[in-house]
Amino acid sequence: MELKKALFNISALADLGEEITSEKNFREKLQSLLYVILGTFLASKGAITCQERSGDKIAFAARKGFDNLSLDNIDVAGIRAAVKNEPYSVNSDPALVKAGVQIVTPLWVRNEFIGTIMLSRKFTSEAYAPEDFELLRVIAHQVAITLNNRSLFMNLTEQLNDNRKLYEEMRKIYHDTLQAFAAAIDAKDVYTRHHSQRVARYSVAIARELGWSEHDIEGIYVAGFLHDVGKLAISNEILNKKTPFTPKEMEEVRRHSLLSYKIISHIKFPWKDVEKIVKHHHERPDGTGYPDALSRNDLSEGAKVLALADSFDAMTSKRAYRDKMDLREALDELSRCLNKQFDDKIMLAFCKVLDKEIRGDLPIPNILPHLDKDFDLSLITALLEGIIQELSDGNEKD
Amino acid sequence: MKSAPFQVRSRVVEDAAVIYPQGYLNNLAGEGLVNECGRYTRSGVKKIVVNFRETDIINSIGISLLLHIMEDLQTAGGTLCFTDMSKVQLDVFEMLGLTKYFRFFPDENGALQFLNVREG
Repeated sequence: MELKKALFNISALADLGEEITSEKNFREKLQSLLYVILGTFLASKGAITCQERSGDKIAFAARKGFDNLSLDNIDVAGIRAAVKNEPYSVNSDPALVKAGVQIVTPLWVRNEFIGTIMLSRKFTSEAYAPEDFELLRVIAHQVAITLNNRSLFMNLTEQLNDNRKLYEEMRKIYHDTLQAFAAAIDAKDVYTRHHSQRVARYSVAIARELGWSEHDIEGIYVAGFLHDVGKLAISNEILNKKTPFTPKEMEEVRRHSLLSYKIISHIKFPWKDVEKIVKHHHERPDGTGYPDALSRNDLSEGAKVLALADSFDAMTSKRAYRDKMDLREALDELSRCLNKQFDDKIMLAFCKVLDKEIRGDLPIPNILPHLDKDFDLSLITALLEGIIQELSDGNEKD
Repeated sequence: MKSAPFQVRSRVVEDAAVIYPQGYLNNLAGEGLVNECGRYTRSGVKKIVVNFRETDIINSIGISLLLHIMEDLQTAGGTLCFTDMSKVQLDVFEMLGLTKYFRFFPDENGALQFLNVREG
């Protein structure tokens, strides 16, 4: 019989291990653990309690019976003062005695009080034997570790959520700062109000159509906002001049992309090549751009995207020295400048996304809301289809 | 250990309920057996037979659930009979000292006869 009892106890420990490692939710896991304990010791009632995360109180994590037991009335300090993970018979706590709690095991992991296991008398009314205390001590260690792991997991989850919230807040501050910068840039020139914002959004639309990752899309968005930050160092008289620039003034204006690069090079961006994209947004595939006169193959896709977005917005916006183009004129101008000023792959993506926006295929349009609505949609769609067809054919031949 | 899905069927024979747990009585699904017995007890049935012919495994969780059923029935002044238990299962009950608290019968008819219930 002793051997059979030993086998039953071993099997109970195996049941305990199986429940601890099961994929059940935590409440179910604890309830199962409690059933294992009750079945092992033939106890009629029982509970597993947990130390609350704030304060010194304990709360029920699983229980069977003990319906009249209020944990607010028990002497938790007394339980904490008992030997760690050692079951003891209850005789001095009136609230526990009244509720029928006969055995309490304070659960500890290292120096941290985790909770308790409480058991009533046995169903058979026999007293708990010394072997029961031994086995309960072993079980208590396992349950304490399970509860502690859960507590650690909850702490980590909480910390992760806090960090995520903090990251989102910082990200918002970051973007607000960028927008403030962009507003400062655009405010220098009454004709370029909201230019940076539009360029950022157009760039995002093209990049998304090109299949960029969301991370890289955020990078081009930031580049769009900051591409003209160098204009802050150029005099208002030149920027707002109503007559054509003199060669010297043109040289001064052209400095802005290099100035933008120098300013933002001091910022450590989480996105790749933002400063280079900004520096090269006036470069051209034919190698006649500035500041470095790079050729097509030396230009990053980001710089090509930003160049087209910037020029398209410049074309469709009024300037001190000229009126704005309508959408058709702007598309004609972009087509005319293909391969010289703009890359055909970027143009194809731009036309495709604009076409989708006009057709209402995109939930959040980035380009259309900023354009005048006085164009003939069917005409523009036909024009875009023609450009898309031509560029697609060209790409296939390549 | 992978558990077979646990199910409970039951039938009423005169003033008794015969309950057929099916599957392993080794996890929380076994609460279904407690609930089924509780349903009969609450409706005034005081004679309950649990037929274990389709239950292969009863572990510590199963034992605690059976104690629960027994206590509920004792409180209600009823009688609980177990039938068709395997030798291994009977040995566990004997080793735990539970045989004097439950009534065991080799088959359902024996239990029903003991309870003075005649199959219609």
